[in-house]
Amino acid sequence: MDLALSPDDIRFRDEVRAFLEANLTPDTRRAENLTTGFTSDPEVGLAFHRALAAKGWSVPSWPVEYGGTGWTPVQSYIFDSECARFGAPVFNGAGQRMVGPVIMKFGTEAQKKKYLPRIVSGDDIWAQGYSEPGSGSDLASLKTRAVSDGDDYLVTGQKIWTTFAHRSNRLFGLVRTSTEGKRQDGITFLLFDMDMPGITVRPIVGNGGDHEFNEVFFDNVRVPKANRVGEENKGWEVAKYLLEFERGGALQAGRVRAQYVKLVELVRARCPDDPDVAHRLAALGTDLDAMEMIDISVLSALQSGANPGPVSSLLKLRWSQVRQDISELAVDALGPDALRFVPERPLYETLQLPPDEEEMLATTPRYLNYRAYTILGGTSEIQTGILARAWLGL
Amino acid sequence: MDLQYDSSHAILRETAERFLAERYGYRTFRAIAGSEAGFSREMWAEFAGLGWLGLPFAEDDGGLGGGAVEVAILMEAFGRALVIEPYLSSVVLGGGLVAALGDKAQRADILPALAEGRRILAVANDERAPTKATPRAGGYALAGAKAAVVGAGAADTLLVPARLPSGGAGVFVVPRNAAGLTVRPYRTVDGGRAADVDLNDVAVPAAALLGGNETADAAIAAALDRAVAASCADAVGAIAAMVAATVAYAKTRVQFGQPIAKFQVIQHRLVNLRVHEEEARASCLLATLSLDGAAERRVRAVSGAKAKIGRNSRFVAQNAIQTHGAIGTTEELALGAYAKRLMAFEMLYGSTREHLRRYGALIADPKLAGDGLLLEPAV
Repeated sequence: MDLALSPDDIRFRDEVRAFLEANLTPDTRRAENLTTGFTSDPEVGLAFHRALAAKGWSVPSWPVEYGGTGWTPVQSYIFDSECARFGAPVFNGAGQRMVGPVIMKFGTEAQKKKYLPRIVSGDDIWAQGYSEPGSGSDLASLKTRAVSDGDDYLVTGQKIWTTFAHRSNRLFGLVRTSTEGKRQDGITFLLFDMDMPGITVRPIVGNGGDHEFNEVFFDNVRVPKANRVGEENKGWEVAKYLLEFERGGALQAGRVRAQYVKLVELVRARCPDDPDVAHRLAALGTDLDAMEMIDISVLSALQSGANPGPVSSLLKLRWSQVRQDISELAVDALGPDALRFVPERPLYETLQLPPDEEEMLATTPRYLNYRAYTILGGTSEIQTGILARAWLGL
Repeated sequence: MDLQYDSSHAILRETAERFLAERYGYRTFRAIAGSEAGFSREMWAEFAGLGWLGLPFAEDDGGLGGGAVEVAILMEAFGRALVIEPYLSSVVLGGGLVAALGDKAQRADILPALAEGRRILAVANDERAPTKATPRAGGYALAGAKAAVVGAGAADTLLVPARLPSGGAGVFVVPRNAAGLTVRPYRTVDGGRAADVDLNDVAVPAAALLGGNETADAAIAAALDRAVAASCADAVGAIAAMVAATVAYAKTRVQFGQPIAKFQVIQHRLVNLRVHEEEARASCLLATLSLDGAAERRVRAVSGAKAKIGRNSRFVAQNAIQTHGAIGTTEELALGAYAKRLMAFEMLYGSTREHLRRYGALIADPKLAGDGLLLEPAV
């Protein structure tokens, strides 16, 4: 038993590093560093995505036949960790990690042909329409109605927390096609174009000042039935598969470590002799090491063909908490300077300051936005409930 | 990278758990802890028969050639079963120092006897007053005072690190009955035994210095880290036992007409206990697999694990007791014995606070903080 990478993995890592050195411009890295929300602006992410696509790396987790890489789990982990270390943009996860795999598994040939290549190339940016004002953790209670009208559905209702709907050209979502029987049995999975008549988007600005979330209103939107993924009233099965992917992309130690390094640098610059901060910084480091070791245990199990068990909820619980804790200590390390606030976005355009002052101004928005980490993608309470069933048989 | 246990590991784990389930447990623990000696020579002889007392030593030294993973598996089983015999202090730390520093004659003198259970060591490392070794004709004179010497009462031989005039440290083999050596044993809260040790001009021959090595600081630190990692595995066993007992209790304890595990507030606490166990297990494995690597990596992994598991162990102990209600605060259940074992874990071989400081001094460097845990292949 050991923690050593194989010589092949080291060669692969060096190849990834060389690619990142060559393709991540200082401007992109700075812009990504000053992105205080969860995903990169298309202006920041797209150029890098196209560079990845040219290398064949834009959808690494996909099967080779759809443009993926065929990497081992360890290689994917190395790639993700190196991208995080270099500060690469986080771009269009909804396309790559959510709807893409769903279309591969449940979609028609026509849907695969139409949509998948445009995710690979970066031509389509997707948004996720799941939550509704009355349906958050209790997603199966959703009410947005789709009524059959010949070859189309007419969709009326409202979605909320729709990340990047204002910058996406496509949206996938769950709609109600039946009110008979079990709630889960009347749900259907549909693909929308954002320019369909009847769709309007209203921004929701987060406490950190970033506009990432939206409300999306559907007023008699005509959607061809050819845009349905899976059977009518079988959308819950599709949705569950997608959520597995949402959580399954959860080996996050590389990203969390990149965030932690920023904190270490901030502490070193701001309050290197504060014993309370040093204590908390060290405790967080041990949390992060434990988290990364759990990630690596999952990798090792996958590599050897063993079942890693019901770990995705454990991983989500821990990385969301550690990310919040890091963002919180960063605010405390700044002290009253954490109150300085620049409301304009994007920060990479607004600010023209020395790097440490720019980092200072990104810290509080990050802290405020990151409160959502323990809510999005299944709240910590929901994850804990899942673990109570899986681990304890309760 | 490979974190999968193989079949020989599984056999060791099953053998240890089966033997200890049959022969040890809370009742046995209480009887042994309450005895005059505070450990069982019969049990010790059985451990010798199973090969456990020689597990970490090279076959040439009369051992089984086990590595850090094997020691961790055994220690976890000891923690789970409340084994109170001085395995960590005598075999892992004491034997570890002799194996690392001793010359051929010293290893031949001590290690086979240790493996056969004929000899017991204790290591007097923590200091109440600086301990110095002054050269004199044919040997050294040792003077100083040591604290928290685990297992000193049971030991026939003490290993005493002491500072030499050159500034380096050496480790001296001192018979328990040496003139000028005073051992004042006391009970510890977990049922164990420790001692204050005074060295008042204790004369030892030159051959008492392990390996004749007067600059053994790095080797001492490495041996201590090995012991700390083993203590982490013991703590993981105790944590796992407490979590399992608490889950089982919550499923059977009925209040308001249903098992308390039906209540969401209890369910979430039980999950939280398991999360703390999983984290502790992961930290422990990191420490275990880092013992043979570069010193900086080793220190980061071992002190990080000691601090993390220390913090998690306190959470588990307190919340396991709370979930049990009043009975959890008593000696009626084994639960309290585990809680006290974890208290001892937190304080010995460098406290949670001390290890967090040691870890923090390294991690404050952004370069090291940015290094992930996967390593370059060994050259």
